[in-house]
Amino acid sequence: MRRWSNLLSLKLYESDVKPDWCPGCGDFGVLAALKNALATLQIPPERVQISSGIGCSSNLPGYIRTFGHHGLHGRPVPVATGIKMANPDMVVIVTAGDGDEYGIGFNHLVHAARRNHDIKVIVMNNEIYGLTTGQLSPTSEKGQRTKTSPDGSIIYPLNPLTTLLGAGATFVARGFSGDPKQLSSLIQEAIKHRGFALIDTLSPCVTWHDIYDKVRAKMYKLEGTAHDSSDLISAYRLALESDRIPLGLFYRTEDRPSFEELMSEDVTSTYPVDNARNLTAEQIASVMARFS
Amino acid sequence: MSTNHTRADLTLRLGAAAGDGIQSAGEIMMKTLSRSGAYVTTYNGNQSLIRGGHVWFHIHAGEIPVYSLGYGIDYLIALTQLAYDEHYGEVNSGGVVIYDSSQVKAHDFPNGVKSIDAPLVKIALKYDKRPIMKNTVALGLLGGLLGLKFDVIANTIGEQFAKKPDVRESNVAAAREGYTFAEQHAPETMKRIKFNYAVKRSIMHADYAVALGAVNAGCRFYAAYPMSPASPIVHWMTANARELGIRVFLGEDEIGVVNATIGASFAGARAMCATSGGGFSLMQEAIGQAAMTETPLVVVDVMRAGPSTGLPTKTSQGDLNMVLGISHDDFPRAIIAPRSPEDAYYLAGRAFNLAERYQIPVIILLDFAIGDGGYATIDELDFNTPIDRGKLVREVTKDMTNGVWFKRYSLTEDGVSPRALPGTSGAMYVAKTDEHDEWGHDLSDVEAGLKTAIHMREKQHVKRMSKLKGVASEMRPPELYGPDRADLTLVSWGSSALPIREAIPVLKSSGFSVNSLEFFDIFPLSADAHSMLAGASRLLNVEQNITAQFAKYLRRETGIEIKENLLKYNGEPIYPAEVVDAVKNALKHEEMEQLA
Repeated sequence: MRRWSNLLSLKLYESDVKPDWCPGCGDFGVLAALKNALATLQIPPERVQISSGIGCSSNLPGYIRTFGHHGLHGRPVPVATGIKMANPDMVVIVTAGDGDEYGIGFNHLVHAARRNHDIKVIVMNNEIYGLTTGQLSPTSEKGQRTKTSPDGSIIYPLNPLTTLLGAGATFVARGFSGDPKQLSSLIQEAIKHRGFALIDTLSPCVTWHDIYDKVRAKMYKLEGTAHDSSDLISAYRLALESDRIPLGLFYRTEDRPSFEELMSEDVTSTYPVDNARNLTAEQIASVMARFS
Repeated sequence: MSTNHTRADLTLRLGAAAGDGIQSAGEIMMKTLSRSGAYVTTYNGNQSLIRGGHVWFHIHAGEIPVYSLGYGIDYLIALTQLAYDEHYGEVNSGGVVIYDSSQVKAHDFPNGVKSIDAPLVKIALKYDKRPIMKNTVALGLLGGLLGLKFDVIANTIGEQFAKKPDVRESNVAAAREGYTFAEQHAPETMKRIKFNYAVKRSIMHADYAVALGAVNAGCRFYAAYPMSPASPIVHWMTANARELGIRVFLGEDEIGVVNATIGASFAGARAMCATSGGGFSLMQEAIGQAAMTETPLVVVDVMRAGPSTGLPTKTSQGDLNMVLGISHDDFPRAIIAPRSPEDAYYLAGRAFNLAERYQIPVIILLDFAIGDGGYATIDELDFNTPIDRGKLVREVTKDMTNGVWFKRYSLTEDGVSPRALPGTSGAMYVAKTDEHDEWGHDLSDVEAGLKTAIHMREKQHVKRMSKLKGVASEMRPPELYGPDRADLTLVSWGSSALPIREAIPVLKSSGFSVNSLEFFDIFPLSADAHSMLAGASRLLNVEQNITAQFAKYLRRETGIEIKENLLKYNGEPIYPAEVVDAVKNALKHEEMEQLA
């Protein structure tokens, strides 16, 4: 195992842009963990592609020196999918918020999981819309007071873990920005995983919905428990826990090949990025024969 | 009832219920004619259902090039009562109606129209317990009437059932009985054209042509969500994926589709997606995204009649306003509208070069009439499509970076900045949908409203828009069809040019001097468009929407108002006869005004 501080490599990922997050924002921990994971795995910055949506957390790509795509609200997953299909040599990561992934772009997330695209989705879940100054999010708790629920939310939250397990995700984990070390190792596992990975990351918003104390009081780590991460039913049961917050790897299976592997084996092994050229005379003859 | 004006051509129409195999029979006839040296166009009058209802397949074939549906019907095959009732009135004098009196009651028989009552069902029942081959019998019969060589018909049927030898043989036998019946029962005189079996012509519709043009231009990533009439593109791409090395992504919705296409293009692939109006509405926001991040994008909209779900299998040119103004605020884009399948092939190749040279979204507007709905003969295609990837940086030099980031949005004279692809060493940058500086850093948060950010916003906005100058210099003026000078100039865009081409000679033979300006590069408008319009003595605009969207666009861009319009918006394609009538009315009206 590499050491936690790998200063030389970490420096390679340093941006010259200072994050605009509030002091104490959970997203700092996610940024640190991501840099650490990439450095630990020794992935050169030019091989990393980070796709994000819109919101505080989605500003992350500018704060880490890799290729980035700071796109539309809710759409970083399809952008990442297109990048990975076109150039499977890239390590493709999505960083986005709960609004992006569990709200407006949820459809994409569920289907990317089902298809097992080789993309790693880190959702910075703060249970609130932060940049729009504090409205109910899909993961806001029942009873939570926000600008759009002044008397407390009447709606039960979405459980991203059970939903993604149900959608057929092959890697489901929960991290906490307050523990960048564990988060880094979860990100490393996700990158090494064969296919789609979701890391639901509790990343508190200190301005609109500070849940540091709640998380710290209820959290426990799955490492060292009897949980077997290959056991889907056991993963479901853990994902349903509400009086305590398990952190770590809930479920992982590599029984299913990734979408990109299947594409390469069953359809075409040539990458679109390497192939922007005219058809060959042979291909033309074959195609045109069917039009006459 | 009308008279077929052109001599060396034929119009055939096959009508039946969906599931009767009329499209299949029509396509076999279309191929047979193409292999017999004829020029062909077709129109598919299908419905949004799988079985039942009423569908029809129209073929216009000629010894000389044909463009649209032609005039009336020379040969009508009516397999159902509804097919008879709907179409008998359009049969030309001297034309033939083929029906089976056990199924169809002929009535109100038009003057000068011949009929053949053929036992299509009885013959078909010899080959199957159900009369499913009645379409094949009718096909053979039609081939016999036209004087086609039976071998050519049999070979085409054989290919259709290549994987089912039993069915193949019985279909060929059923067709032969129809063919023989025709030889025995043919009327003495019928309209015919000459065939030349030494010439084999290729035939495709614009959905296939745009796909072929794209792939030959290097497109190896295609994304779609099923939607008529754009679906044949994804079918073709998937069918050819293995052989041609195409990665096809069937997304969860059109928003996912267009974002994945943008991702693939950002990564460095030549990528395309297609849909129809409804799907395109969903793609709006992402089109603006591609313009803002300066990611090349090619999107096809195969228009169908709207608004909303509209008429999924009927044609329209109603999406022009949408694409002219698609997505919020100003950004550069190019819009092109191929007139025919052949045009679609060439313009698709060109679209990728425009998209990459200017790093902008390029929208290709097709419509049902030339897309899924209509095949046409194509001349031999040029496959040496130039591939120009624009300012693509393979190796980063010192002046392009600050040691941390690649200067992706550098301010340049032509508005186009060097682009590097993910994976390129030392070329890291973030593609930004937020307004940004030359390095791709946000101007939207901590810098927003500061003087430097205000100036940079102006510069970046102007930089993006200035690309339109370059694009405009590449846009081609409308093509003139017909004589250089005329009393009346018809104006059209996209596929509306086709019926006009078939109207002009007929108008000429009636003494009317008419030509036409065919627009296909729509936005930005070619600089020559203004003088070409201004030079016409009189203008009549022809398009397929209710508000004359193109004429209004031309007025906005050139100040020239076209006051006369032929607008069709009932879902059916424009017939040349309608153009003839519109021109005659306009010019006669003028004469009357002059007399008064």
